[in-house]
Amino acid sequence: MSEIQGETKDQVPVTVLTGFLGAGKTTLLNHILTAEHGRKYAVVINEFGELGVDNDLVVDADEEVFEMNNGCICCTVRGDLIRILGSLMKRRAKFDGIIVETTGLADPAPVAQTFFVDENVREKTRLDAVVTVVDAYNVLQTLEESSEAVHQIAFADVIILNKTDLVDEAKLAEIEAKIRQINAYVKIHPAVRSNVALTDVLDQGGFDLQRALEYEPDFLENTEHSHEEGVTSMSFPVSEPINEARFHAWISALLQEQGGDILRSKGILNFAGHDDRYAFQAVHMMADGDFIGPWKQGEKKESRLVFIGRNLNRPRLRRGFESCRA
Amino acid sequence: MSDKSTLSGIVGERGVEQTVEGHITACSASRDNSRFAFATGEGDLLIVPRETLRDTATWTTVQAHDGPVLALSPDVAGAGFLSGGEDCRLKRTVGDTPEELAKTRRWIEHVACWSDGRKGTIAFASGKEVHLREADGTTALRTLEHPSTVSGIVFDAKGKRIAASHYNGASMWFVNSKDSAAKVYEWKGSHIGITIHPAGEALITSMQENDLHGWRLSDGHNMRMSGYPTKVMSFAFTRNGKWLATSGADSVILWPFFNGGPMGKPPSELPGIPGVLCTRVAAHPQQDVVVAGFADGAVLMMDQSSERVLPVCPAGGGSVTALAFSSDGCILGYGTEDGRVGVVDLTAPA
Repeated sequence: MSEIQGETKDQVPVTVLTGFLGAGKTTLLNHILTAEHGRKYAVVINEFGELGVDNDLVVDADEEVFEMNNGCICCTVRGDLIRILGSLMKRRAKFDGIIVETTGLADPAPVAQTFFVDENVREKTRLDAVVTVVDAYNVLQTLEESSEAVHQIAFADVIILNKTDLVDEAKLAEIEAKIRQINAYVKIHPAVRSNVALTDVLDQGGFDLQRALEYEPDFLENTEHSHEEGVTSMSFPVSEPINEARFHAWISALLQEQGGDILRSKGILNFAGHDDRYAFQAVHMMADGDFIGPWKQGEKKESRLVFIGRNLNRPRLRRGFESCRA
Repeated sequence: MSDKSTLSGIVGERGVEQTVEGHITACSASRDNSRFAFATGEGDLLIVPRETLRDTATWTTVQAHDGPVLALSPDVAGAGFLSGGEDCRLKRTVGDTPEELAKTRRWIEHVACWSDGRKGTIAFASGKEVHLREADGTTALRTLEHPSTVSGIVFDAKGKRIAASHYNGASMWFVNSKDSAAKVYEWKGSHIGITIHPAGEALITSMQENDLHGWRLSDGHNMRMSGYPTKVMSFAFTRNGKWLATSGADSVILWPFFNGGPMGKPPSELPGIPGVLCTRVAAHPQQDVVVAGFADGAVLMMDQSSERVLPVCPAGGGSVTALAFSSDGCILGYGTEDGRVGVVDLTAPA
């Protein structure tokens, strides 16, 4: 994401590492820390003892979740992260990035929302990507039993599908289909013992929806999911320019009303009267966005929004987005 | 070292500036006002002797903590300082060798000290606990447990009570009572800092949501002070407790604490720098003077009654992150996130 880095070079990239207990988070963490990349990472973890992460800058977190005072039950943030990130910024020169490892049962929402809500965190850091480690051997059963596991996949920008040596090709295809049913636009990297290329995990540029869409362009495009109970994802393109004010009015009303059900939304928008692409993203009802540089040479100036959540009404969302045309 | 000709502020005539390694996290004068200290994100204390304040060659750097210094306070008496850090240690620095007073499992993020000149009490917060110590710093008095991480601590003027802010409110404890529980002041939300009215009339917290909250101590009546564009990171009562000066806007916001205020009364404003956020405030201990530090590094001193503004230093060095007067009001110190530090001797002839 050179465009993002160009504009926000002072912001430290933060990678949030999530995944169910035993999925291989710590193995991935140690793999990242010991790899030859010449970069230093500060690591925020929840349990010191058992894992033996060898790093000078390991900080113990408390998982203190705060409800925000705006009357919305889904608007929660991690108070301990605000404090820890604030303090890490006092020795900014000591590292290139931050990795936050969440415990296996944690809902990633309060972590992700912290980067939208707290002004000091927003000013100094940027959420690079939510990376979810998934245990291929157990995931189908885990998804049946645990809504947290569904959330971890829904929130992910990148999935490391670990322990693929323990399942056959057919099972793997079934797992990928299940993951895509929840989060159609996530990047999936199969792995054994969390051994993935670091370029697949770090510096993802949280905003880079375009990259996700290139990876899996029109998946589920024609599938109707509006009556399904579970978490699904939907993408909506609009080829005409979008009226900026109308879009903001529509999306804030939508998130206000349905933010509890919309776990994540992201978009790249072509606002009328602007040469630059506008990147939009939200976690529940907390939204954020910025212009991120010009469209690439020959790139179609198409606006696109992705929603991941429950009870998504496809025709209604499409009509709403289309009504924002300039 | 600064070139006087490039400075447009009283630091040029009455003080000195220097740039050091690291983010300045706090500053304070010692109890006897003989020394001034700056704490850094690198774990150092930069100690300035008052006698030779303008001769930076006489300043000393003491490595007090491993990792950032998170809290700094004058010691109970004399020329020492108390500090807490990410290394989970409480240190006392009198000379050049810091002495370890305590080691906990969590970061020591807040240190406070009350003293009447003869006796004193030390308090420090580590995670959900506030530890009270006798003046020697090693004799434990009590450990006060809170429902969530303590975000600020403050003694009342007489040292009889200590209050702590935390998620969903604040707790007030009697220091010398062995068995009493806290009086809990509840208000939903995350409270991130605390102060107490000099005459004990009100307890004020700052909140995650760009508001101040308060409780009138006589009857627990709630008060809300809102309208800030950003979080209020710094606040200070003026010497007589009539006004609460606050950061968080591009001017200094002052709430009235007299004639029934701040309830139903609008705040007053002192001039600021248009479009630049005030990040730190400090009130002069004897005069009706407030000093404010800004996000561009500028520091302004303001007379409340005349609204006259005296520039202390111009912009530079990043956001002002530390600001303090000595208790006799004679020294003013400031520091920024890029390591710019300044001290001004307000008694020196211009």
